[in-house]
Amino acid sequence: MINLAARDILHGWGKFVFTGVGLGLLIGVTLSMAGIYRGLVDDGKALLAIGGADLWVVQRDTLGPYAEPSSVRDDAYRSLLGIPGVAAAGNVTYLTMQIEHARGEVRVMLVGFQPGHPGEPGYLVAGRPITRSHYEAIADMRSGLSLNERIRIRRHEYAVVGLTRRMVSSGGDPMLFVPLKDAQEVQFLKDNDALVNERARSAANPAFNRPGVPGLLEAVQASQTNSHQVNVVLLRLAPDADETRVAEQIRRWKHLEAYTRADMDEILVAKLIATSARQIFMFLVILSVVSATIVAFIIYTMTLNKVREIAVLKLIGARNRTIALMILQQALGLGVIGFIVGRTAAALWAPIFPKYVLLLPGDAVRGALLVLLICALASVVAIRAALRVDPAAAIGG
Amino acid sequence: MAQPAIEINGLAKRYGEGDAAVDALKGVDMMIQPGEVVGLIGPSGSGKSTLLKCLGAVIEPTSGRMALAGKAIYDNGWKVTDLRALRRDRIGFVFQAPYLIPFLNVTDNVALLPMLAGLPNSQAREQARQMLAALDVGHRTQAQVRQLSGGEQQRVSIARALVNEPPIVLADEPTAPLDSERALTVIRILNQMAQRFQTAIIVVTHDEKIIPTFKRLYHIRDGRTFEAAGEGRAA
Repeated sequence: MINLAARDILHGWGKFVFTGVGLGLLIGVTLSMAGIYRGLVDDGKALLAIGGADLWVVQRDTLGPYAEPSSVRDDAYRSLLGIPGVAAAGNVTYLTMQIEHARGEVRVMLVGFQPGHPGEPGYLVAGRPITRSHYEAIADMRSGLSLNERIRIRRHEYAVVGLTRRMVSSGGDPMLFVPLKDAQEVQFLKDNDALVNERARSAANPAFNRPGVPGLLEAVQASQTNSHQVNVVLLRLAPDADETRVAEQIRRWKHLEAYTRADMDEILVAKLIATSARQIFMFLVILSVVSATIVAFIIYTMTLNKVREIAVLKLIGARNRTIALMILQQALGLGVIGFIVGRTAAALWAPIFPKYVLLLPGDAVRGALLVLLICALASVVAIRAALRVDPAAAIGG
Repeated sequence: MAQPAIEINGLAKRYGEGDAAVDALKGVDMMIQPGEVVGLIGPSGSGKSTLLKCLGAVIEPTSGRMALAGKAIYDNGWKVTDLRALRRDRIGFVFQAPYLIPFLNVTDNVALLPMLAGLPNSQAREQARQMLAALDVGHRTQAQVRQLSGGEQQRVSIARALVNEPPIVLADEPTAPLDSERALTVIRILNQMAQRFQTAIIVVTHDEKIIPTFKRLYHIRDGRTFEAAGEGRAA
């Protein structure tokens, strides 16, 4: 038996292919939305992989440092190092901010870390590690910064000495690594005018400026100009250490919160990006419905244009199954063209998205199956219309 | 005498019910022998199309009897369970316009019927090519429908109607879109094919040019048929 669907497609291939391309662009957008979601998750996982940490120690009763603000004294790491099973500890600060550079502005996550400790960038793709105590930086390539470029952050200028890749915040902002002390200053130290004002206010406060207590005012003012806070202490554990047990000890004795990698995964994926994921899921649902409606409309229109041929086919003895199969195959053909175009389009435009778009082969397979299912369902309306065509319509009068 | 190809007795068809009922056919009688081509003429609304649809097994009569080649297909109810197969195997259709499938080439338009009947593609195509050759369009077997002239398209549609060698062919105003010369050519071809395959052909027509070519004519008026001898001029 002749494949009627294939013959019809070949007969009007231009119209069919252009329709498929149009549908494909819509499918491309749908696949990109799925890719954006995957990118969000992958950014989160990349964020956790950066510091080489096994445990994240943060302020108690917070989901810090990525999902909620967290503040921990920067000397806490000493006592944490004393806990059995802890091999290394590193203070880290995170601050998302806008910085200017030669070609414009970029939003970055400023990461303060201690070289040689957990929290430092795992690898460089160009340049060298930070070797000085101040005013050097390592930038993720996505920031657009280049080696040896000088950038201004608050009061000081920094030289970009190294470049790294795929080190971004959960929001997709590229990271800029600077020495911990510099980052603490950026995050916690106020500007000069504010400090002078703060000192004057302290001096005017009789509680801090008591005649009978020499040195109190100086001590208070000193505490206002120094910062000894960090957002998280990253711990690397000994190979045989039980992370759950160590985390439990920290919670019990250090009055801090400790999260394992699994906990952080949960916080990032289920809490931090949950709203974005739901938003994207809604887009996916809407786009799927729109795609199904468009396919249904196209196939229905194509079928209505063939009412006379369908009536003739039925009159000369074609089975309903033959006609239904023709329409179904055309709908699936449209889906196949659409999917190929969509997948290609998504791969082509993914790199120009400002956020990371991760197109997984598994998603592509699921997408293909979904497209075929949608096309099959969308063809039902047209098939019903075709089966209602009266063969008598082929006979005039 | 051979068994009639078509025999109809008291065929009636009523549309609607009650006050809105319309009797389109009020007791049609008709008998056509194999190899005969008869004309069916009548004014608009006389019941020609209804009769054709009843004969083509696409609408069910209200009462009466119809037999094809001596076998009853309707006797106050369908006597065959698979009307689709009946149409495919035993009835050929030629329409006012050729109504060829535009996305199939000439051969496949004709071969589609034997294929639907279950013949392998190669055999069906060979059968179609032979029929096309018999209708003098054997040189256009690979052409697309849009590449054919009106007359060629009508020949291909006749080939499609005859390819399964059905005992009857129903032709619904097959010469309507053609000029005199082509119309007469079509009638000549139908006569030749009727003789060659011993097919009974009913031609519904308004066409004054071809009416004199029929040896027998059925007039239909107000749902009843009246037989008349035709002139039987050579087409």
